[in-house]
Amino acid sequence: MKKSIASKIYVLLIMIYLYVPIIVLMIMGFNKSRYNSMPFEFSTEWYRALATDSVLQRAALNSVILALVTGVICVVLGTFFILGERYLSDRLKGIFNSVSMMPMSIPWLIMGLSLLLLIRFFNFDKSMFFVAAGHVVISLPYSLLVLKARVQSMDTSLEEMSASLGAGPFTTFRRITFPAIAPAMVAGGFLSFMISFDNFAISYFLMPAGVSTLPIEIQSSIKFGFTPEINAVSTVIIGVSLLCLAVVGLIMGSSLKSMVGRSGK
Amino acid sequence: MKGEKRQLMTWPAMAALFIFAVFPLLIMLFNSFQSDDGTGGFVISNYVRFFSKNTYLKLTGRTILNSVLVTVISLIISYPLAYIMAKKLKGLKNIVMVLIIIPFFTNQLVRVYSWLIFLQDGGLLENLLNSWGLLHGPLGIMYTRTAVIIGLVHAFFPYMVITIYMALERMDNSLLEASTSLGASAFTTFRRVIFPMSMPGVVSGIMIVFVPCLGTFVEPRILGGVNGTVIGTVIEDQFFEIYGWNFGAAIAFILLAMVLLSMAAISKWGKRYDI
Repeated sequence: MKKSIASKIYVLLIMIYLYVPIIVLMIMGFNKSRYNSMPFEFSTEWYRALATDSVLQRAALNSVILALVTGVICVVLGTFFILGERYLSDRLKGIFNSVSMMPMSIPWLIMGLSLLLLIRFFNFDKSMFFVAAGHVVISLPYSLLVLKARVQSMDTSLEEMSASLGAGPFTTFRRITFPAIAPAMVAGGFLSFMISFDNFAISYFLMPAGVSTLPIEIQSSIKFGFTPEINAVSTVIIGVSLLCLAVVGLIMGSSLKSMVGRSGK
Repeated sequence: MKGEKRQLMTWPAMAALFIFAVFPLLIMLFNSFQSDDGTGGFVISNYVRFFSKNTYLKLTGRTILNSVLVTVISLIISYPLAYIMAKKLKGLKNIVMVLIIIPFFTNQLVRVYSWLIFLQDGGLLENLLNSWGLLHGPLGIMYTRTAVIIGLVHAFFPYMVITIYMALERMDNSLLEASTSLGASAFTTFRRVIFPMSMPGVVSGIMIVFVPCLGTFVEPRILGGVNGTVIGTVIEDQFFEIYGWNFGAAIAFILLAMVLLSMAAISKWGKRYDI
């Protein structure tokens, strides 16, 4: 009995450590002081400022668009990759798999700077194209991992059956493969979206002048005087992320259930 | 014939990775063998400069020490938590798992900045400790290695909790019963059965904390100030403050070598525990 209380207290202490920054930013978002100083005085000033701050809104919109583009491209490239991967020779499969996982082990600092050197090497102009390319390259391994796990547990005999019953490759994909991997596509896309949305290093190094994303705005306000607006916007982001997570959880949960239900019949 | 054609589906992803990941690294490698003073040709002076200067060697040592400290502290925090989740908490463990995942949805920079607000002199923690009578005067944690470690452990330990938890969760509980019924004490059961079987989770946890920690630059810069300088911040400075791009590229490759070597070492060590 004593032991179980001790372990609950331990869990509680770690949770406090884990949640200190989140609690701090939520409190400071509602604190009147511009310099995050005490004593606490309740105010919704920073949320109201957020509603009229066009720079921050523009940056948030850029972040969402960039993350959506990254998520969609990663899912498309990733799905094609895992569908084709099964037909590769063993040697090629080994090479392709290690290349596809490589960006996971390289610090993003290095990935970002090497892309910057590529741009300079060819005298290109910095553009959103390279930012998106950087985001895709660092997020792709994560969506691939999710997709691969799903494909490996998939029953390939269904696809063979469909083909032998006269369905074309496209019909087989639409009717058999796609429904089976759809949850993994959603999950992989979501993961890529989150990685891109949160990414600072790549965006910071490659972003053309005059364009910014939320992480870049946050960094510049840390550097040049932080306003509690950032706390307010972070609180909003956490809320929205949790909502997305819940929606994805529901989609995946129900599609998994429907699959289980179907195979049960 | 069909297989031949279908292989082509792997090419778009591969093309993207080759053009925007492999090729830029090759350019960076090329840059690292160019000198920054404009004289062309293949030189190794950037690497020589790094290894002949005490400052850079000290920085390397500090970067590695930071990673070691963060890994050890994360392990000390994470193992008991993962153990409690896997073996003690029954219905609660899913809630704790969700609580561990939620902070991943906050921006890294915002989390670091919150630590700054919390830890700085005159900040929240100082106010709290003073009002409880536990501290008199300034806290003095901000802009020290302690602040950097607090921030880095916070950023990385949840990954380790997850890997260790997964290893403990997979464990066959009948082995524990067998050990106890054969007369082993709780401690012996832990030392001889539970801990060895959780080693794969511990090893991947160490991998997932130690390796990325080597390449961090945001936490050391914001929380450590001048005392936080590590290889990552030096590379960033070379590119954006000093404009020694080629020297920066060389340091980046030295960092990459450290990352790959430590990955290889950890996975070689981990092979012993894969049953």
